[in-house]
Amino acid sequence: MELFLQQLANGLVIGSTYSVVAIGFALAFTVLRVINFAHPDIFMVGMFAGLAATAQWPAFGLLVAMVAGAAGAGVVGFVLERTVIAPLRGRDVLMTLIGTLGVAIVLQNGMALIVGPDPVAYPALLPRRFIDIGPVALTVRQVANFAICLLLLGLVSLYVRGTSYGRATRAIAERPDVAAAFGVNVARICQITILLASMMAGVAAVSVGMLYGSASAFVGLLYGLKAFICMLVAGNRYFEGVMVVGLAIGIIEALVTGYLSSSLRDAAAFFVLIGVLYFRPNGLFGSYNA
Amino acid sequence: MSELLRVTDLAVSYGSVPAVDGVSLTIEPGELRVILGANGAGKTTIIKTLLGLLRPRAGQIRLDGQTDLLRLRPHEIHRLGIAWVPEGRQLWNTLTVVDNLRLGGFAEPDKALVDRRIAAMFERFPRLRERQDQIAGSLSGGEQQMVAIARALISAPRLLLMDEPSLGLAPKVVRDVFGLVREINKMGIAILMVEQNARQALRVANWAYLLETGQIVESGQADEIGRKESVQAVFLGGHA
Repeated sequence: MELFLQQLANGLVIGSTYSVVAIGFALAFTVLRVINFAHPDIFMVGMFAGLAATAQWPAFGLLVAMVAGAAGAGVVGFVLERTVIAPLRGRDVLMTLIGTLGVAIVLQNGMALIVGPDPVAYPALLPRRFIDIGPVALTVRQVANFAICLLLLGLVSLYVRGTSYGRATRAIAERPDVAAAFGVNVARICQITILLASMMAGVAAVSVGMLYGSASAFVGLLYGLKAFICMLVAGNRYFEGVMVVGLAIGIIEALVTGYLSSSLRDAAAFFVLIGVLYFRPNGLFGSYNA
Repeated sequence: MSELLRVTDLAVSYGSVPAVDGVSLTIEPGELRVILGANGAGKTTIIKTLLGLLRPRAGQIRLDGQTDLLRLRPHEIHRLGIAWVPEGRQLWNTLTVVDNLRLGGFAEPDKALVDRRIAAMFERFPRLRERQDQIAGSLSGGEQQMVAIARALISAPRLLLMDEPSLGLAPKVVRDVFGLVREINKMGIAILMVEQNARQALRVANWAYLLETGQIVESGQADEIGRKESVQAVFLGGHA
């Protein structure tokens, strides 16, 4: 029972990061109708932007790192939208897919050129201490990561449900033509959406860099793959569905690690994907265009 | 009277297939005009082109005798006072009824005004007030059509484009919808409606166009058009 609760908590911590990255994928896919293969590497850029900022201003720690992470990732995401996604809008889906894949390769190898191909140490930012919650022991960093990601997810949910622009974002996701005909500037909302997705990923990346104490130019792949699976498993109809699946995948991975073997951990998400798509091809919570 | 909308020699194609071929029409403030035509005659294409959602191959669309709508994007056209009741409702099915209505007022910066207009819609359609927090996709066809019409009215348009508002509705609901069309028109809102239900449409309209394979083949006062033998044969089943 103790192992179960401990792994449940560990799973929620990493699952919350999957959720944040997955929401970025889902926003780009439903609103801009693009599979943004550069998203995981925008996440990676955010991680290094935070790293650079803490090196510059070591006294301010986590907060300045998160602001820098959001800014760095946000700039890359915005430029990507303006230079690659927007010009290819309305063309074949394959073209934006190849375009964002190209940007992903440039970002990865560009960063590897600057920082080297090997992982580098990430500053601690928060004290190395444990917090006991009943039978469960978590590090301060784990708790912080979960809190930060949960806050981001809460803000996204609040944005898409409670604000005028957020409602317009969902309206575009479901019926872009009708939204445009009701006064929504689709191009503008697309820019805001990518900016939002990228900045969130940047913050989450700083948090996860701190959590594991390392950063790498190729860190995006792992999170990107898991997040992409989360979106496919959930379906794109409800952003909250993607969030829940992110947390669930994190928990399943942690339980597999705890009870079976850590070498099976990365396979777990794929088993979930195959299982869900076999029975519900449109995802657990349904998809548009279905 | 100064004209509200003038369409001149409009031609729209899908790839190399012409859908609308040289259509001209006008509508004056407060009028209710109807375009009658069968499936595939080009009715929806005309509406979507007016909204800026389709780019024509040729022709002109002018609002108030001056504004060239072809230079504007859809959201800019909407802000000039044009609203849309799409074919088959096309509500945002995953959003609640009240969120659908709020989006109808997206372009209006005065949100308190939007709230007042939504309250007025709930006054007119008590059913929608009861269901305001349900997702729109869960409503019946007739209720969805009420939402679609209310959504279009929230922006207080000058011109309402209605695309087959009677499509797929029960006969009793169809009569309600046409009653509502007349009511909206009496409020001073000009309406351009496309329909297959010629009998009902001709009863509320003051002017009618007949569209066949992308071209207007007849136009005139609604009651005169209704008496024409060709129209009766095609649209009214031969016995009006």
